[in-house]
Amino acid sequence: MRNDNQSKETLEKDLLELVAEEGMVDRADLTREAALADLDIASADFIMILMAIEETYGVYISVDNEMSGVTTVQDLLSVASRKILEKSDA
Amino acid sequence: MTQSRVVITGTGAFSPCGAGADALWRAAKDGVSAAQQVHFDAIADQKVTLAAPIPAQLYDAHADIVRPRMQDRVTGFALIAAAEAVAQAGLSEDDFGDDCGVIVGSGLGGAETIDTNYMRFAAHTYGATAPRLDAMSVPKIMANAAASWISMTWGARGPLYCNSTACSSASQSIGLAYQLVRSGAMTRCITGGTEACIVPGVFRVWELLRVLSPDACRPFSRDRNGMMLGEGAGILIVETLEAARARGAEPLAEIVGYGTTSDAGDLLRPDPVGAAGAVTRALADAGLTPDDIGYVNAHGTATVANDLSETAAMRQVFGGAFDALAVSSTKPVHGHALGAAGALETIITLHSLRAHLAPPSGNFSEIDPAIGFAPVTGAPRGYAQDFALTNSFAFGGINAALILGSATRL
Repeated sequence: MRNDNQSKETLEKDLLELVAEEGMVDRADLTREAALADLDIASADFIMILMAIEETYGVYISVDNEMSGVTTVQDLLSVASRKILEKSDA
Repeated sequence: MTQSRVVITGTGAFSPCGAGADALWRAAKDGVSAAQQVHFDAIADQKVTLAAPIPAQLYDAHADIVRPRMQDRVTGFALIAAAEAVAQAGLSEDDFGDDCGVIVGSGLGGAETIDTNYMRFAAHTYGATAPRLDAMSVPKIMANAAASWISMTWGARGPLYCNSTACSSASQSIGLAYQLVRSGAMTRCITGGTEACIVPGVFRVWELLRVLSPDACRPFSRDRNGMMLGEGAGILIVETLEAARARGAEPLAEIVGYGTTSDAGDLLRPDPVGAAGAVTRALADAGLTPDDIGYVNAHGTATVANDLSETAAMRQVFGGAFDALAVSSTKPVHGHALGAAGALETIITLHSLRAHLAPPSGNFSEIDPAIGFAPVTGAPRGYAQDFALTNSFAFGGINAALILGSATRL
């Protein structure tokens, strides 16, 4: 269980780096509580983030399925890490 | 200056539902979907397979008019639809000439030609022996190819425009044709839209946008999860009421209102304010109030964002009248034909008005609390009013709304 939590923690840190780079946001501004809209992450940046997740982790995340309720950085991290861990468990 | 009344005297549709406007209307009315599973060898790891393509056999069976060496499928579709529309309108050689314009839009132009060329070009880059690219690529790919071939085929020498505004291309083309005919810049116009986008490279980049449903297109339903790509062409013959009467043609419907706006906001995310603005302008142009409208053919892509935004816009415009309105999206039947969508849906709206029947919205299962209404489902629903509205909203924030009036009022 601890291992699972640790790996999730590491994964979410890696994902934060990815979101900062693809969303073109300063890493220092990228807190988990921040709303994506407040970070100026527009619809097009969001697509780039999801494409980078697909390339890096091999998971396809649809805007309309999993992402429709996502508003904060933590929401995004939770959905992405859940999908990635599901894939590695499978 | 007096403005002419503008009528539609011919329609043609070449769609995944088959050849002919009647085939499209029957499929929409009966809720028969052209959805298929589409597999592309060229896509290494295809995530989505649901689409409504025009099958090769259907195209080949109607392509006598097409010259494939010179014309991409996008032009072929448009020529097939235009031939039907011209025949229904009963136009003869003298009806084209300087007084007849062509305004036919396309979002992507010759997608198959681009795709095939890129494949060959890349193969060469990565070591294949020099492949021959299509020497006619430029004139096959250009977005105005379909409009130009229509003008050449029938000798329409009036104003020619090609409106390329993604999913609003066709609605804006028809709207512009209506405005130019009404103002006297031309007497009649061959107008509409065409798209031939279900080719591997285009399909893959739509997949990258992550707005395609993996299983079904369910407009306005709580469980909706994305759109279904379609393709095809819709062409209308639009002319002054006076010109139609002079040559003894029967008007099928009147175009009474058009409104278009730009969000000037996000490139991909729709804005209800812009959408409401287009519908409000169309109503004002037509001199109508919301309760004059009996049916709305919604843009209804079944993406989370569009359906929320479109509903908010409609509530803003229609207020209390909204809940009594018959609303449906016919995209589960014919797919989202992008630059042809507005033309196919205008043709469905025209048939709806003639029968006073609102076609159903497919795959609806449950009201989404964030949307709060159910479209027409199951059997078509009758309505009494003589006016119907069709909406198109495009990437780039372009909104277009057209209102048709029943021919029985003329």
